[in-house]
Amino acid sequence: FGNRFFCAKTFTFSFFQAHLEKTEGDIKELSESAVNLKSNFLELTELKHVLEKTQAFFNEQDEANGLDTAHKALIPEDSQNISIRGRLGFVAGVINRERVPAFERMLWRISRGNVFLRQSEIEKPLEDPATGNEFHKTVFVAFFQGEQLKTRIKKVCAGFHASLYPCPSTLGERHDMLKGVRTRLEDLNLVLNQTRDHRLRVLVSVAKELQNWSIMVSKMKAIYHTLNFFNMDVTKKCLIGECWVPCKDIPVVQKSLADGSSACGSSIPSFLNVINTNEDPPTFNRTNKFTRGFQNLIDSYGVASYREANPGLYTIVTFPFLFAVMFGDCGHAIIMAAFGLWMILSEKKILAQKDKSEIFNIFFAGRYIIFLMGLFSFYTGFIYNDMFSKSLNIFRTRWYVNNSRFDPDSTATEFELLPKANYHGTPYFMGVDPVWQLAKNKIIFLNSFKMKLSIIFGVVHMIFGVCVSTFNYVHFKKYSSIILEFLPQLLLLIFLFLYLVVLMFMKWFMFSATLDGWLDKPVNKHGSSCAPSVLIYFINMMLMSETPPNEGCDMYMYEGQHTLQQILVFGALICIPTMLLGKPLHIMFTKKNKTPKPVNVSKKSPVFKLCNFIFLYTLVLFRIKPTGDINQGMELDEVPENRPEPNNSTHPEEEEEEEPISEVFIHQAIHTIEYTLSTISHTASYLRLWALSLAHAQLSEVLWSMLFNLGLVREGYVGVAFIYIFFGAWAIGTVAILVVMEGLSAFLHTLRLHWVEFMSKFYTGLGYAFQPFSFKNILEEEDAD
Amino acid sequence: MKGCIFNIDNGYLEGLCRGFKCGILKQADYLNLVQCESLEDLKLHLQGTDYGTFLANEPSPLSVSTIDSKLREKLVIEFQHMRNQAVEPLSTFLDFITYSYMIDNIILLITGTLHQRPIGELIPKCHPLGSFEQMEAIHVAATPAELYNAVLVDTPLAPFFVDCISEQDLDEMNIEIIRNTLYKAYLEAFWSFCKEIGGTTADSMCEILAFEADRRAIIITINSFGTELSKDDRAKLYPRCGKLHPDGLAALARAEDYEQVKAVAEYYAEYSKLFEGSGNNPGDKTLEDKFFEHEVRLNINAFMQQFHFGVFYSYLKLKEQECRNIVWIAECVAQKHRAKIDNYIPIF
Repeated sequence: FGNRFFCAKTFTFSFFQAHLEKTEGDIKELSESAVNLKSNFLELTELKHVLEKTQAFFNEQDEANGLDTAHKALIPEDSQNISIRGRLGFVAGVINRERVPAFERMLWRISRGNVFLRQSEIEKPLEDPATGNEFHKTVFVAFFQGEQLKTRIKKVCAGFHASLYPCPSTLGERHDMLKGVRTRLEDLNLVLNQTRDHRLRVLVSVAKELQNWSIMVSKMKAIYHTLNFFNMDVTKKCLIGECWVPCKDIPVVQKSLADGSSACGSSIPSFLNVINTNEDPPTFNRTNKFTRGFQNLIDSYGVASYREANPGLYTIVTFPFLFAVMFGDCGHAIIMAAFGLWMILSEKKILAQKDKSEIFNIFFAGRYIIFLMGLFSFYTGFIYNDMFSKSLNIFRTRWYVNNSRFDPDSTATEFELLPKANYHGTPYFMGVDPVWQLAKNKIIFLNSFKMKLSIIFGVVHMIFGVCVSTFNYVHFKKYSSIILEFLPQLLLLIFLFLYLVVLMFMKWFMFSATLDGWLDKPVNKHGSSCAPSVLIYFINMMLMSETPPNEGCDMYMYEGQHTLQQILVFGALICIPTMLLGKPLHIMFTKKNKTPKPVNVSKKSPVFKLCNFIFLYTLVLFRIKPTGDINQGMELDEVPENRPEPNNSTHPEEEEEEEPISEVFIHQAIHTIEYTLSTISHTASYLRLWALSLAHAQLSEVLWSMLFNLGLVREGYVGVAFIYIFFGAWAIGTVAILVVMEGLSAFLHTLRLHWVEFMSKFYTGLGYAFQPFSFKNILEEEDAD
Repeated sequence: MKGCIFNIDNGYLEGLCRGFKCGILKQADYLNLVQCESLEDLKLHLQGTDYGTFLANEPSPLSVSTIDSKLREKLVIEFQHMRNQAVEPLSTFLDFITYSYMIDNIILLITGTLHQRPIGELIPKCHPLGSFEQMEAIHVAATPAELYNAVLVDTPLAPFFVDCISEQDLDEMNIEIIRNTLYKAYLEAFWSFCKEIGGTTADSMCEILAFEADRRAIIITINSFGTELSKDDRAKLYPRCGKLHPDGLAALARAEDYEQVKAVAEYYAEYSKLFEGSGNNPGDKTLEDKFFEHEVRLNINAFMQQFHFGVFYSYLKLKEQECRNIVWIAECVAQKHRAKIDNYIPIF
């Protein structure tokens, strides 16, 4: 925001406004005169037609008369006949063609058949001067006898909107009149064309400028709207506006203010003073096109409180990763990543397009998210060894079929592979061995694997979330909370759930199927049949009970496990009252022996080291002189010094608000209960990683075996047609169900895991977003309207 | 059976009409309108309703008459759209609705010409729904017979007019008689047309038309007190398709003052209620308002059933009532006469 716009534009704007008004007046005048000319033209054309057409009627009549007289020259009534005809009066005029029948009937009725109506259509459609619509008209001549009838006919004509024109009764006069009318028409035509050309020129020149003008007007509107928020100084010599400015941008604002002053040519610069305030500043996260999508995910939960740790940064990695755990399939991942990549590559082209559908806009805004989700899913798909539900045998499976143990004549289609006999002893190089694709117990194996995996990721994610809260405590200088809240929270998680994770790893390392004997041989202590259930361990640990192990196995995995577990449980239990009572008691004691400390929390702390995403605001006061007031600028100099004080007095420094101690207890109790229960429920909630991943894998397998497989059974040309059809169905199903629908569902679950499970550990999200003054936004909004 | 095939021809229009009906102002809207300080406020509030920007292009000092004409214009556009889409027998039904406006227009023009007003001044006052081709040439006629022979014989009103030809010349009294005779003939014709259509249309429309007929009979009677209209002539003007026919009409014909009319209405449950609540004292509702309220109730009932034509008639009537309400409120606001601003007749 700078007053550069203000000064520079005001000058032009007064001219601009005058110019606009003048143009408007010109155009209005032009169209008005055009309408006048046109109606004049219309009248003359109608008159011309009347004269021409009636000419024909009279000619006809004369001819008929001539014949008549020739025929009946000898009949004595002839002279009387002529004299009667001589007394016939007539009116000539023009009427809308569609009204003719009713008009004719009406004339006939009011005169009891004593009106003779002749009519002739005007072939060329005429133009309505006001609207420009075309319409057809008919010329009529009504012959009648007597004055009384004449007035009534005229009334009817008026009723039917017929325009009457004087029409001389003799041939010569008619000719003269026609000639006059024609010349006048020609003149008028010339004038009309000139007017039209002139108007066209004016309009074309306006059309060229119109776009610029409307942009200028909307900019001016926005500026004046903002200026209306300014306060008049007591001396009424300058304007004072208060606004939020990012600390980092203060030099920029100052520079633009200086630029604006010099552009105005004024000798008095505009001032910018930084004011201290207790108001909560708005939150502003600087984003680029890559981070904006992720930040939007966070902001739609709640805009971060001012200078709170912003999870947006971590989300860039954790979001696609957790998504990928659920969406692990190389094939689908490639489709998704390709779609994301296409949107990223043709970014400029798509942005330039105006008419995008709303749904596409949503996808487009998340193009980087989609791309990253695709890439991460490719990785997890690779680890799961899943590509459209099929496995790739890239590094050679480490299992082989050893026929020696089986009867070669056996017709069995299934072989039992035992780790001892059919396993090479070294694991598959990376990911899941493709041999599992053929195993009957594939699901059992994968379930156990993915379930453990999701708990591990969940616990790590939550512990990370709790750790982020220290950033908040340090920044808001609540050091006591680090010991009284953060530490017990962290220890609770570590003692119970991280220990669970440790147990899982121990189980993986300590027990091996290869150590198992044959079915009839005695078991090894570290064979798979002795492998304990981690879940049972955990339950026993919580309940302090014991389950007897299988025969020949140890009850515990290591020495002193029982004692350690008891210590851990007790440690965890101690954490709960610490959380519950620690903070309220601390507040109570500090209050008792409280020495009034000056509040040193300055809102102007310069840099926020812990989280790069949050920037700082200070309330900025700046002044803009009323334009054209240069002479009185002398008085202005004194104003800035005394200004800040009244401003400060309106925002008196408030003490941190004192909650009654009982409320502190209640709040803390709620928090503690919430947190303790949530450790369990949130851990369980991470199991959705496993569930969705399983569902996705199963669904893609079903789609393959139930759909595409059917196309593979025929041979020859029929087979080709089958494959063609079934591949189409399968491809559509894959994209529509597996990529789009499953993708959306996995997206939503990931979003939930972030909003609820992760962000609840440290994020309050009670801030409000910074809305900078921006011409770009204003113009875009206008465009949208 | 009628219901099954109704939608083939009229489903769209009924849907459209019901959609339009949803735009009728609710009580909450009226409460907002009543709060208005100026006509500009009123315009602003109306913009929030279904009327939208219908006043947007009007220059700033807004007058009640522009509001009125704009309201009417919108209604007419809606109705004419429906009329243009309609097929038989709905088109005839809709035409029948317009005939009453034609009658009003004719009477307006005749009265106007009787008072030597130029026709150009009268035409804009005519209701656009009731305009017909020969309308503007109506002043050529000096006697009812001439009016019929020259002008009305080509209009759909011709059959209704046959009874009036006997009147000798056009003075105020006769014009009133012509109007009421026309109305009587019109109502009876409309009523039997609805009967002919049958089904739900007959059920709902005959109810409304019967009330309309009875209202006219009662009002004619009340208005005739103290005029030179003889009782016999008066009896001839009563539309004979209402609930009052025949006993009630006979009793009305004998009535000599307001109390006797009231006594006649006592025999009919729904009319006695209307008479009971009305009065001319300040604070009381007039009989006319009571009639309007009853009419609104009947018209709302028409929307309770489906697959019939009554909704079109009712929609038009409700919308007209709404226009009257808005104009009333606008007048009260414009004249800063807030005491009676609540006398509008709420619809929903």
